[in-house]
Amino acid sequence: MWTTLLLIVVSLALGFAGWLLFLWAVKSDQYDDVERPKHRMLDDDEDA
Amino acid sequence: MALCAHCLLEVPEESAIRETIDGKESVFCCPGCRAIHGLLRSEGLTGFYARRHGWTPGPPETARVPLDAFDGAVRTSGRQAEADLLISGIRCASCVWLIERYLGKRPGVLSTRVNFATGRARVSWDPSETGVGDVVLAIRALGYTPYPPEALHVGDALRRETSDLLLRFGTAAFLSMQVMLFTAGLYAGYFQGIDARYAHLFRWLCFLLSTPVVFYSGAPFLLGALRGARHGAFGMDALVFLGAFSAYGYSTASLFLGGEVYFDTSTMILTLILLGRYIEAGAKARAAEGISRLVRLAPVVARKVVQGGGTIDVPVASLSPGDLVEVVPGERMPVDGNVVEGGSEADEALLSGESAPVPKTAGDPVVAGSRNGTGRLLVRVARTGGDTVLSRIVQAVEEAQARKAPIQRLADRVVRFFVPAILLVAAGTVLSVLHRGSLPHAALMAGISVLVIACPCALGLATPLAVLVGTTSAQARGILVRGGDVLEQAAGVRCVLFDKTGTLTLGRPRLTDVEGIGIGREDALRLAASLESSSEHAIGRAIAEAVPAARRLTVHGFRAHPGEGIEGEIDGVRYLLGRPELLERFGVPVDGEASRAYSAHSAALRTAVLLSDGSRPLAVLATEDALRPEAAGAVSLLRGTGTAVAMLTGDDPGVAARVAVEVGIGEIRARVTPEGKREEVRRARERFGPVLVVGDGVNDAPALAEADVGIAMGRGTGLAIHSAGATLMTEDLLRIPAFLALSRATMRVIRQNLFWAFSYNLAAIPLAVAGKLHPIAAAAFMAGSSLLVVGNSLRLRKGGR
Repeated sequence: MWTTLLLIVVSLALGFAGWLLFLWAVKSDQYDDVERPKHRMLDDDEDA
Repeated sequence: MALCAHCLLEVPEESAIRETIDGKESVFCCPGCRAIHGLLRSEGLTGFYARRHGWTPGPPETARVPLDAFDGAVRTSGRQAEADLLISGIRCASCVWLIERYLGKRPGVLSTRVNFATGRARVSWDPSETGVGDVVLAIRALGYTPYPPEALHVGDALRRETSDLLLRFGTAAFLSMQVMLFTAGLYAGYFQGIDARYAHLFRWLCFLLSTPVVFYSGAPFLLGALRGARHGAFGMDALVFLGAFSAYGYSTASLFLGGEVYFDTSTMILTLILLGRYIEAGAKARAAEGISRLVRLAPVVARKVVQGGGTIDVPVASLSPGDLVEVVPGERMPVDGNVVEGGSEADEALLSGESAPVPKTAGDPVVAGSRNGTGRLLVRVARTGGDTVLSRIVQAVEEAQARKAPIQRLADRVVRFFVPAILLVAAGTVLSVLHRGSLPHAALMAGISVLVIACPCALGLATPLAVLVGTTSAQARGILVRGGDVLEQAAGVRCVLFDKTGTLTLGRPRLTDVEGIGIGREDALRLAASLESSSEHAIGRAIAEAVPAARRLTVHGFRAHPGEGIEGEIDGVRYLLGRPELLERFGVPVDGEASRAYSAHSAALRTAVLLSDGSRPLAVLATEDALRPEAAGAVSLLRGTGTAVAMLTGDDPGVAARVAVEVGIGEIRARVTPEGKREEVRRARERFGPVLVVGDGVNDAPALAEADVGIAMGRGTGLAIHSAGATLMTEDLLRIPAFLALSRATMRVIRQNLFWAFSYNLAAIPLAVAGKLHPIAAAAFMAGSSLLVVGNSLRLRKGGR
């Protein structure tokens, strides 16, 4: 019984962690602009 | 001629501003550019010049919005203030880089994030150190123009809605996956046996996991259903609400009273429908934003010339026809008017779709929103504000979009009668069970079970899922569809109206004939191509491209004669290239063979130009705007399905008739104004039924918006794309009949889906009312009918490619 319970808890925890990550992504406007990030990698920070 | 170190525009020697920087002389076209260059140097941001590749920022725009207009945009919370600004002039990723870096270095600025796609910036700062005015001035100092964001309130609301739907959908998706996991365990347990403790635990877990889905993710449906109920109207929201909430309610009751649970049903239906709504809302938000951005193209402040010669800044709204305004290089025209003094060129791409600058000298008309090039102009105001060409077109688009009756979706029509009927049956069941002497809670359960059975996912999913799959598979075929209603409308289209230039034709001329008179064909072509190599005109480019750059000769003293042609010197000989009028003006007689060849080309509706060495005509060159190779095929495919096809064009009837014959279109309307095209759409609708319009220019925008379905060409102007319901990304006209076939297939699938969902109801409801339906059979029924709908909808992905 306890192994099953443990697995349930683990799966819930993983799902919850994924959900928190998603919430964070939406709240920090990660989905607002899908155009700019792909150009950002081309910037080199010579002065940073 | 030197190039301005900041904006890369050519600077005439006499007006150049010179400055020695790091031992090297730099040239600037105006004080604005010099100031920006100095700013970037002092901030160590000259990396900007290294990272732009052949991109020219143009001289700084000088339109000004009063600083206090930005106060409303500021949100203050504690020690942090924040504002969203719209920034015009952002054209590439380096602009974003520059603004983010520069603002980041301002004292008190905490963070800057510029959205490249929408041109919006979110800046936050410490109010004790700086203010919104400083931020605005800093952005202006870089040569970009910030605007307060309220101009965009429509797009804003839609964007908020999109982000809200995304949160609700994401939450529902994560939780549904977990619910499915335990439900699978419960189903397996049903057949293989399961320890009662586990079954109990799983049910409770399902309950806990699905509660947020129903009450948080499902809240919009609950509110929508309540709103509808208040008006006595039942729509999709009510159906989804009944389906999801009754399954949830029934399962929750079973949890305490004993019985099967259907939590998975309620979470899955909400998740799938939220996904469809999210995608649709995103597309709508982008479209709305595009239109309101266009309106803002014209500046709100103009420099009015006052008596005595000076200028003062006044709001454009206060100008009246007859006033004189000054337009400096790089500025957008604030009004429609006529040039009184000065010479420059204007980028009128927003009206014509043609990006080549149009020369402007005294007497020429200019339109609000077009961008002034390198010269200073004095313009006599003819029309302002709502009367300008730009705002008339935008108004026509908005009017047509607002007036178009929202399509009554097939499913909505069905649901309107279905939902009240089900509610009646459920209420009847409760009463009859009570009448037979059962306990109230048993009667209530019987009533809810009728609701659960009668409002399965299948019915709720029937339309959204088919539309979702139809939309994405249209996209895979190169057609970007803005919403599901476009597909439904397209299925009923009876008449297709094509624009000519840029739609049926390629929209760019091609050199077709070269005839030498007295000199060889090759020599004539080489001379003409060399002369045209620095020309910006579409026909000039067509001629220049006919000869590789390496084989062209050096041209001195190039001069353009707007509307007539060009002149230039090669190896000491002065050549003229242009219309017969140009040659005659320079005293070259156009007669004999030259005159005959020219008229022959004109009669064949090709655009011809003459080459001359200043004494006699040397050659005749003809260009033609070629038809898209697949145009005729697309037209005949459309006619094959019984759809009427006609052509609308602003061009003259002769050219239109020839194109029509070549592509096989019988009906043409030539010399039609933008508003006239809209009128033609209405007339066609009366004659044939729903109308599809295909176009590319701003002049097509009113027709595209008025049409039941508008399809814009992918390389068309922004306004055309935003006015249309769909965009043809690949510019392949054959996709249009394919798209119509796809929308008809989508509607067919929706009808099939509805049919199956109803057959299921017809079979199951009597059993549920009689209380004879076994819980696991009910679950199988529900899952089975949903799978059927999902599978049937997925069929749309195949075929027709």
